[in-house]
Amino acid sequence: MAKILVVDDDPSLRKALSIGLQARGYALVATGNGEDGVVQAALSQPDVVVLDLGLPDVDGIEVCRRIRSFSGAPIIVLSASGEEQRKIQALDSGADDYVTKPFSMPELEARLRVALRHAEAQQPGRAEEAQRLVVGSLVIDLVHHEASHNGRSLELTAREFDLLAYLAKNAGKVCTHHLILQHVWGPQYQQETHYLRVYSHRLRRKLGDWDGTMLRTHPGIGYQLVAE
Amino acid sequence: MDLRRLKWWRLEQRAKPPMRRIQALWGSLAALAGIAVVVAILVPFRAHLAEATCALVLVVPVVIGVGIGGFQAGLVAVAGGFLAYDYFFIPPYGTLSVGSRQNYLALAVYLAVMVAVARIVARLQAVRAEAAQRADSARRLFELSDVLITERPLDQLSHVIASTLQGAFGFDGVALLLAHGQGAGLRVGAAVGEAIDATALSLLGSTLGTPASLVRVSPPVRLGGRLPGRQRVTVPLVAMGEAVGALVVVGRALRADERQLLSTYANQAALALERARLRAQVIESEVLAEAERWQRALMGAVSHDLRTPLATITAAVSDLRELGASLLARDRDELLGLIESQSDRLARLVTSLLDMTRIQSGALAARPEPAVLAELVEEAVQALVRTEVPGRLVVELEEPEALVLADHALVVQVLTNLLDNAALHAPEAGAIEVSSRQVGGRVEISVADRGPGVAPADRERVFSMYSKTSGAGRAGLGLAIVKAFVEAHGERVRLEDRSGGGARFVFSLKLAEPSALDEPGEARGVVSPRRAG
Repeated sequence: MAKILVVDDDPSLRKALSIGLQARGYALVATGNGEDGVVQAALSQPDVVVLDLGLPDVDGIEVCRRIRSFSGAPIIVLSASGEEQRKIQALDSGADDYVTKPFSMPELEARLRVALRHAEAQQPGRAEEAQRLVVGSLVIDLVHHEASHNGRSLELTAREFDLLAYLAKNAGKVCTHHLILQHVWGPQYQQETHYLRVYSHRLRRKLGDWDGTMLRTHPGIGYQLVAE
Repeated sequence: MDLRRLKWWRLEQRAKPPMRRIQALWGSLAALAGIAVVVAILVPFRAHLAEATCALVLVVPVVIGVGIGGFQAGLVAVAGGFLAYDYFFIPPYGTLSVGSRQNYLALAVYLAVMVAVARIVARLQAVRAEAAQRADSARRLFELSDVLITERPLDQLSHVIASTLQGAFGFDGVALLLAHGQGAGLRVGAAVGEAIDATALSLLGSTLGTPASLVRVSPPVRLGGRLPGRQRVTVPLVAMGEAVGALVVVGRALRADERQLLSTYANQAALALERARLRAQVIESEVLAEAERWQRALMGAVSHDLRTPLATITAAVSDLRELGASLLARDRDELLGLIESQSDRLARLVTSLLDMTRIQSGALAARPEPAVLAELVEEAVQALVRTEVPGRLVVELEEPEALVLADHALVVQVLTNLLDNAALHAPEAGAIEVSSRQVGGRVEISVADRGPGVAPADRERVFSMYSKTSGAGRAGLGLAIVKAFVEAHGERVRLEDRSGGGARFVFSLKLAEPSALDEPGEARGVVSPRRAG
């Protein structure tokens, strides 16, 4: 049974979430403030953290950063629409995904499932398998710079490979434009988001991902690689 | 289009300044009077005195005359002295004829000495006057510049410039015209002293048109001040190559050094005006930016506060739809309860948001009427009946039946928001306390919780619209509404520390006159139907 930590200052939403998630078979820990949220993240070892950005005591982004400093558990951020900048900040501070308020329970559960799947895939045998990344049917050999999809080898340029490898390393996480550009192209390219549009298009074509369900676009925010 | 070339453009210029002629007249009269006195004293003794002695004594009134009236008076004095000397002291006395040759010599020496003395004294006088003028100019320039240093709004500055000029030069009237902007003409920024009549100014304005065309004005416009010795001067005010306006002064004629001074001052004034204008622009853009920030804050608060209940409603509804029958009856009830309470909350928010907008726009004013304190509290609790608030409430009113002056709907809203806020921040199931006590002619009502409280530095910000994401914790629409509604009663709300931790919101209401309900009229009519409802 996966354990979810919910950090939100609105008691009614906490209650609605706990009823819904428990009925779906999750174990739940809930708290209303950031300090307690950080403590619970350490004590109860949740599998996923659901974190509201507008907390009364500590800024949600700071909570994100603190939890990330000791825990690898995926963090799904709750925020209002129109707060794109805050979402990006949160993702840059270690959050993995976000849900825009108001949201339906199936929507949240879908995100939880993605987060849990990728967290599981990454944990076992991390050390020995560091040369090989597997995301669903996608296999990336970091040593030989080779990638295959459904057993079929992919013809990638060096930059395309780097981009795919970076997204695969962070599979399930929404990677902001800023982070991708910095890691794949270099710090001086942080503003060149049009590179990403071009390269993501090429990657999708080569992966046969025509509807973008595998390499997801988050408009204005970033990209996310999700196992089908 | 060089404006500076035309620093001095005189519309009307009378001949010589009159001052000097008046002084010359006084000098001449003084000299003649002196001569008369000297003659009156010396005549009885003239037989015993040498002619040269008399001539020496007659130098005195001439020097006095030159001292007062300058060289012109000196000439009059010399002529008068010469005639008096010849008539009274050169024998034969009483005639202008000259007796001996020796006397011709005396007269000639006298005349030569007198003219020389008059020259020298007059020159000395002129040098001294010039020095005094320079000192005077420096002093006035200093005084004038001094008033320009202080930062002032444009209109105030214009007035200060005009009145300082009037005081320093003794003008009869000063008008300061300000340029509206390139090509937009001139307006009167300030006018002091004798009115430079409006029609004439508007004529000037229309003649001048744009400031840049100041240079092209050809026909002198006749304005007031046709008295002799008066003139009117227009000085363009130019700063950084751009005309910022013009000075029009009416008054006595100016000396050359004063004109120089006025011109220097006009330059300084132009710079000061330009600075004030730029500052006004900066302030204006700051005000706009502040308004925009405020609007963004309002939008942020509104969207946050409206979305919060919606988040619960959406989540709960989707649970019920998805899981439906598989949910425990208890959970299903709880979800439905959440949907109800959050819908109520949403409805309350929308209502009070509308009320607040109406109050702030002036469309709705608080109408305080006598109301029973306990009933206000009860009604607020009633509004929260579907939440957990009633179960956690501890009410301790000092005098529950006290009559307070309150706009019923607004005060109920204030209490509801404070209770809601307390429920949101108090630890789960922690008590929420409502209490009241009378202080002077007022009742102080407080809502307290055992939540985390608010740091003193943030206590004012709590009531601002800035959304929770700014870190102030409790801030948001609810408390901003509390503040607006309490202040609409002319009262205050504050946030205090609680001993033992937590926050206490305190607001005051005026006590109504005990007799307020006994009198026939509105009060009774208003309260009773509410009680019925």
